Amino acid sequence: MRITKKRKQTLVLLAFVFPALLFYAVFMLAPAFGGIGYSLTDWNGLNPTYRWVGFANYTEALTEDPFFIDSVWFTLKFVAFMVVLQNGISILLAVLIESRGRSKVWFRTIFFMPNMISMIIAGFMWLFIFTKVVSYIAEHARIGLLDQSWIGDPDFSFYAILVVSLWGGVGYLMVIYIAAIQSVPRQLKEAAAIDGATAIQTFRNITLPMIYPAITIGIFLTLNSSFKVYETVYALTGGGPGRATQAIALNIVEEAFSFNSRYGYASAKAMILFLIVFAITIVQLRFMKNREVEA
Amino acid sequence: MSNPGFSARKPQAGRRVVSAIVVLILVMASVFTLFPIYMGVLNSLKSEGDMLNNILSFPSRLEFGNYADAFEKTEFMRSLVNTVAVAVIGLAGIILFASMAGYKMSRTPGKASGFLFGLFVLSMLIPFHSIMITLVKISKELSVQGSTFGLGIIYIGLGVSMAIFLYHGFVKSIPRDLDEAAVVDGCGEIRLFFVVVFPLLLPVTATIAILNLLWMWNDFLLPLLMLTDSDDYTLLLSTNMLFGEYNNDWSAILASLVLAMLPVILMYILLQKYILDGIADGAIKS
Repeated sequence: MRITKKRKQTLVLLAFVFPALLFYAVFMLAPAFGGIGYSLTDWNGLNPTYRWVGFANYTEALTEDPFFIDSVWFTLKFVAFMVVLQNGISILLAVLIESRGRSKVWFRTIFFMPNMISMIIAGFMWLFIFTKVVSYIAEHARIGLLDQSWIGDPDFSFYAILVVSLWGGVGYLMVIYIAAIQSVPRQLKEAAAIDGATAIQTFRNITLPMIYPAITIGIFLTLNSSFKVYETVYALTGGGPGRATQAIALNIVEEAFSFNSRYGYASAKAMILFLIVFAITIVQLRFMKNREVEA
Repeated sequence: MSNPGFSARKPQAGRRVVSAIVVLILVMASVFTLFPIYMGVLNSLKSEGDMLNNILSFPSRLEFGNYADAFEKTEFMRSLVNTVAVAVIGLAGIILFASMAGYKMSRTPGKASGFLFGLFVLSMLIPFHSIMITLVKISKELSVQGSTFGLGIIYIGLGVSMAIFLYHGFVKSIPRDLDEAAVVDGCGEIRLFFVVVFPLLLPVTATIAILNLLWMWNDFLLPLLMLTDSDDYTLLLSTNMLFGEYNNDWSAILASLVLAMLPVILMYILLQKYILDGIADGAIKS
């Protein structure tokens, strides 16, 4: 009796899980494991057959492919800027908004709005701003600082990409930080105010430690999204001029789908991207969880 | 406190200055946020010459021709229908299958259920770019590439794990007595789920629906890889194609961008509260 009940339970479990598992296995697990396999072959779109090449694709990507290596450095630099700026600005906005009365709803609504818009659309819109509007303003208001080739000059297009990414991403984290700040017990802040703490002291000694778990989430989300940056760069510079602003994702897509169709080689690059994201995320979570316990 | 003398006034004045600075910063940030959208809408209503003349001013004459042009060139209605179709198929599958799986795994103790749950959570760290090449190959072999229906199906596979994670967590907060009472009543497993459990999951279903709808609606790369015929193009793909063709005719391009933004902005205005709550909820739980 017991055993049959347990067996029935397992069967029911499988029946409930099966539909989800089927789609997940075909479109997620199979490509993930298949990708590992193909990354060890010279599979390309032209030849019907392919053979095992071991780690040759990996060594080629990491030693003989300057464009890929540049794209890794470009992405790492971009991620570093994003982690600091996106979280810093979101926290600042969240704190400032929470200090407001009724107007806070309005500000929250406005700052989140860019998140509703696809970065492809937003990127094209910003391309218009950078190529037409900014130069117009610079010319007529005589602001020399603005009068740069924001898209054409790689030194500046990095910052153009950064500005647009921040514009599109800050609101999302801000919503998370607002929720975290709202969960800080009111009594703590009141007690600090009675003790004569300034607003900045209250923020540093009470709010900041209390929202530390949210910062862990915020940095995690930023790492995850900025390593994958694709649309913003595609719309603004297309990776150019030349390949100066080519992020890893663009490099992989180009390798696989643009001209060479070296699927096996591109799969190896995709695995390298996964390993970088995985390693950095694990280190970040470990490090921040440990500090959370202390705080 | 009882003696509000000269010294008490100073922090009061200081506070007002700080408050004014805070408002100033927030207003400036709002202007920055809205500026590109405002400029886009403004210049989409101008003729080419009017735009070159003064890019910042109001249109001297409203030019709706850009919109008529963009509406036609992007096959707006067809693209919109395609986008909605993909989102509906994806959303229906994700919600139905993930709620069933998440609920049952949460309620069943033991190794099998733990293993399955771990298998689903596993993928949450894998970037899309790491699977896309093989995904394209598999989709070609299964002939799901090249149709809106196929694209919707693929989204189910990519979307279920996060949804299962959220359902799994939410079910734990529902008292077991509820479903056990129904079992005693002689309610079958399937009926129990759809009649008793599923309605209870509504709050988390709303969160999942919003997160996934935004994701599928604004996703560009997967449709780009999967849809080959322009008859199947989603809004973003049609807009991208138009951008390539119009090459620098900005007033027409901007009109198409505004058109592409319109559905999500409308959705935002209508469902704002749910969207903002859903985002905070989804992020904190995962």
